[in-house]
Amino acid sequence: MPHLESVPRLAAGCRVSTVAGEQPMLLMPEGALRLIGTSLKIVELCDGQRTLAEVITQLQQQFPAVDPAKIATETVTFLERLHEKRVLNFA
Amino acid sequence: MSFIPLALIAEVTHRCPLHCVYCSNPLEMQRRTTEMATEDWIGVFRQARELGTLQLHLSGGEPLARADLTELVAGARAGGLYVNLITSGVGLSAELLSRLIAAGLDHLQLSMQDVEESLANDIAGARSHALKLEVARMARQQPIAFTLNVVVHRQNLDRLEQVIAMAEQLGTDRLEIANVQYYGWAVSNRDRLLPTREQLKRSLEVVERARERLKGAMRIDYVVPDYYARYPKACMGGWGQRLMLIDPAGFALPCHAARTIPGLDFSNARESPLGWIWHESPAFRRFRGEDWMQEPCRTCERREIDFGGCRCQALLLAQDANATDPVCSLAPSHGIVRDILERVNTHAVPEASGWVYRIDPR
Repeated sequence: MPHLESVPRLAAGCRVSTVAGEQPMLLMPEGALRLIGTSLKIVELCDGQRTLAEVITQLQQQFPAVDPAKIATETVTFLERLHEKRVLNFA
Repeated sequence: MSFIPLALIAEVTHRCPLHCVYCSNPLEMQRRTTEMATEDWIGVFRQARELGTLQLHLSGGEPLARADLTELVAGARAGGLYVNLITSGVGLSAELLSRLIAAGLDHLQLSMQDVEESLANDIAGARSHALKLEVARMARQQPIAFTLNVVVHRQNLDRLEQVIAMAEQLGTDRLEIANVQYYGWAVSNRDRLLPTREQLKRSLEVVERARERLKGAMRIDYVVPDYYARYPKACMGGWGQRLMLIDPAGFALPCHAARTIPGLDFSNARESPLGWIWHESPAFRRFRGEDWMQEPCRTCERREIDFGGCRCQALLLAQDANATDPVCSLAPSHGIVRDILERVNTHAVPEASGWVYRIDPR
């Protein structure tokens, strides 16, 4: 589990592509990930400024109807998955 | 069902300073004079993006042999593609790398022939190993994704731990360890390159341990030789289903070796729109889907998983591009592969000399 005070950011060579009329995609070596709904919001919040704790708090504020613990778990799971793919770093 | 060429492999030139004994280029290569011009390539990139292509692999030969590579990268990136450069590193200065990155290069994939300089240079037929290490160190410091691609075979598979240690030392995020596939130039050198069953088994264990140890630090992809697989690979993700390759002269191919298949007429991107070539041209439709299949593929429950395997390999080994890929344990012609493996596994390791080297096109 990454430290809550670490700062998640996309790794070098990984970027979000936004083309008018298309769903945003996270482009990476040998692949692409369609960013649907919350996954786009999470990736956008990983701007290299916010800590993991801040990203989670921000999402919890944006989705007050959703269980805050669930938001925290799902965000960490998603970011850990990107980290294992070497698409995201925790600085 | 509609298919999208998610990735485009652009073989921008067949010229290359290396002569690797397993090069995937065809035996008959395109000469410099037939290569497409800058604007033709950029037109191809734009059309590909409109078809839904996301990834561009600039390949060769050695793409750095093209004087307009920076323009090609810029054109591709402006056209909305993720730009990957597959290179030997020969000819890549720090200054050129900076220019490529400024033009929009996303990912650099550097090929290495081995961890030991003497074998690496012997395989490449050129003194390139030390230079590649320099390029790796240089690329690692730049704001791009970097993958080290090491080709393995009978002569170096026992050194896999050292290969992984080299990648760690260079600090790469991604390591692709690929066993040689037997097309093009590799076929002539097959008996010296195919690993033994025992080597392969050990290599899988080494990779598994390294993956566990390096989880989150380095991603390791491992490609095994399909001669040892029980079922064939879904070659190129299925003929005309996910990938398109454009050769230096503009001919659009469903895979690297497709031109070896007789009776197919490949369209040229200089003459026909890419969308028509992909969706409608006879060559791309020839083995798309299941209609072309013979038994046992036609009724096999895996036919939508591996699509009958590789057409070029069926032609190469069974002399019939319509046949089930002979590497499949269910293929009527599987005996051919069994015999090759039998020979490889019972004969002493052939000397790592007497290679057939790739010859550079003029």
